[in-house]
Amino acid sequence: MERPIVKLRSVCLAGTVLLSLVTSIQAQNQTLAGLPDEERYINRALPDIRAHSERTPDLRLSDFWRDKPVLVTMVFARCAGICSPFLSSLKSAADSVGGLGRDYRIVVLSFDPQDTPADMTAVARHLGIQNDGWVFATSHPAEIRQVADAMGFWFRWDEDRHQFDHPAMLVGVRNGQILRLLVGGTVSPVRLREVLDEVRGGFVRAYPLPGKVMFRCFQYDPATQRYRPDWGFLLLFLPGSVALFGTFWIFRTVRR
Amino acid sequence: MANTLESQSASYRGLTLVWMLTVLALFPILLILGFFMRALQADYMTKLQPEWFYAVMTLHGLGMVGIWYVGSMAAVSYLLSRYVKPSLLISKIAFGATLLGVVLLLASTLIGRLGVGWYFLYPLPLHSKGVWPAWATGAFLGSLAVLGVGWTIWSFDVLRAIAHRYSFSTAMAWHYLRGKSEPEVPPLVLIVTVSMVSSLAGFVAAVVLLALYLLEWLGGFSNDALLMKNLTFFFGHVLVNITMYLGVAIVYELLPAYAGRPWKTNKIMALAWNTVLFLVMFAYLHHLYMDFAQPQWLQYLGQISSYMISVPAAVVSIFGALLLVYRSRMRWNLVSLLMCFGVMGWAIGGVAAVIDSTVAVNVRFHNTLWVPAHFHTYYLMGVVLMILAFAYHLGQEGSKMTERMGLTKFIVALIVLGGYGFLMMFYYGGAHSVPRRYAHYPQEVSQGVGLARAALVFISLLLVGVLLYLWETGRRCLRSFSASSASS
Repeated sequence: MERPIVKLRSVCLAGTVLLSLVTSIQAQNQTLAGLPDEERYINRALPDIRAHSERTPDLRLSDFWRDKPVLVTMVFARCAGICSPFLSSLKSAADSVGGLGRDYRIVVLSFDPQDTPADMTAVARHLGIQNDGWVFATSHPAEIRQVADAMGFWFRWDEDRHQFDHPAMLVGVRNGQILRLLVGGTVSPVRLREVLDEVRGGFVRAYPLPGKVMFRCFQYDPATQRYRPDWGFLLLFLPGSVALFGTFWIFRTVRR
Repeated sequence: MANTLESQSASYRGLTLVWMLTVLALFPILLILGFFMRALQADYMTKLQPEWFYAVMTLHGLGMVGIWYVGSMAAVSYLLSRYVKPSLLISKIAFGATLLGVVLLLASTLIGRLGVGWYFLYPLPLHSKGVWPAWATGAFLGSLAVLGVGWTIWSFDVLRAIAHRYSFSTAMAWHYLRGKSEPEVPPLVLIVTVSMVSSLAGFVAAVVLLALYLLEWLGGFSNDALLMKNLTFFFGHVLVNITMYLGVAIVYELLPAYAGRPWKTNKIMALAWNTVLFLVMFAYLHHLYMDFAQPQWLQYLGQISSYMISVPAAVVSIFGALLLVYRSRMRWNLVSLLMCFGVMGWAIGGVAAVIDSTVAVNVRFHNTLWVPAHFHTYYLMGVVLMILAFAYHLGQEGSKMTERMGLTKFIVALIVLGGYGFLMMFYYGGAHSVPRRYAHYPQEVSQGVGLARAALVFISLLLVGVLLYLWETGRRCLRSFSASSASS
């Protein structure tokens, strides 16, 4: 009588593990649901909208990407959430990597229609940004919407919090074409270096899309430029191992 | 040997005949689908939507891989029953699962117009972009699941049957490696053991693959494309290799009866097939040469495994077959002719495969017509001929009808001429960088249109040869089946 109970327990345990796996995947997907899917936006053209900053009142985005690549991000000045920490981490990563202004620019656009060029300058001042490679600008709401749509960025007004709800992301652009989307609240120097390599025309063999994929075969480390095996690689040993164990089991059982 | 075979139970022979008749009924249909694809590439059906090409390609590819796998399994199960007793019930279950799988596959491709190719490379089945409905993906994955379950059980049962008589080390002929030749292990047992262990590995890969597909489909997360491609080709390549090996096992078992000489296991043969068991797990890596995210050492492993796997199994078997036939009192008939041409096709296809598995060459040949050229060679002109030989042998064994040698030679001539002519168009196209999988060739590769037109002539010859073969074999199998049913 014990054997069926043991089997039932095993089945229940396997079922629970599978259920919890699916649930955790679904939970993970819900948290990722608001983030743009990079594959949908790669190689799209970024609209060449007008941008207004205190230093350069009337320019177009193409003026920035004409001679060197740009990294574009969207924030709003009164943000009490992710914008400030995100820009801080971007500044820190840019300082660490170097070359800002000389090799590339960072364009920070406001998506809040109420923001003025002076508000954006205040944001820069608050973060202690003085490098000329940074551009803090505003634009016409309709044009901002075009840029946001082109790069998969979304924002909506939350009446309860009196804040915009939005993700944090950085877009790598060369000659007006989107090459990379870096999504997430922080930018590490390693990831920034990798994005810069790509927008400068370098070939980045592989990079992870954070939190999206389970059982990855290999993880690419841009710092060392090497691959290291991940959980998915172990799965490749499963068929051979199961077949051999299954065979030995059959021969042992039947021979008895 | 004939006497021993005749002593098999009528019911087992009956079921094998049912398997063979099913395979032989589906073969010309799938062949005509191949004709249809080349006709589309030849610009003879310009008004037809390209989606039809891909749906038919899926059905043709999976159908051919499937029917020859079950054909080879049914054949070796029957031949194996000289030594061990595979379960009749399990074979019937596998037959039921195969029929259900075929129905689901037909629905997904012909009604749903699912066009993912036989290797259903991730993430295509999940991204139809409106070309096929979601239910077609479900039916397709369901078809694979049903076929996978049925065939896994079948493989387990064949191993179980072998395990009843032989220990694992004996079945793998390890004592031959130590210089002993007792107890004697027929090559059939050795090859089938190696093949069944490998096929179990392939089916486990398919289970993992299908589970990941389902998790993505139902759970909504993304899979790692590299992992999915590795698993797909692990499963696919192993399945195709196993079919080939089972075909060769048929030759090992049947050819001696026609050559009048025994073909026994020896040390070299044991070493060769044990090596195969190890290498077959890695040879598939040559399908991923273009995936730069795959580390370089795995690419080298793919090339080395592909080279090495050809040497033991192919060279040992081909030389063995030649030595068996050389200066023997060979009884030439449709069976022996088809088996010899089958071994020849295996050799030619194997050489073409080794060429393509060379990284430096694959850079040029990848996704050109060279790829269908080599796999059609060792399939159509290799294992298919071996299984056709078995089917005729089985029918002839039960019916004892008189064979007309003139017609036999005509059939073989048509099949060989049509088959190799058709293949030459693939090889020539591949060597000239004509891509595969184009429903309609654009101006830049318009050479493909002319080659497809020439191929149609040869396919027609092949089709006539196959239909004549089917007439000759079909009536023998039917008569044999009637006799078998009456006696049971």
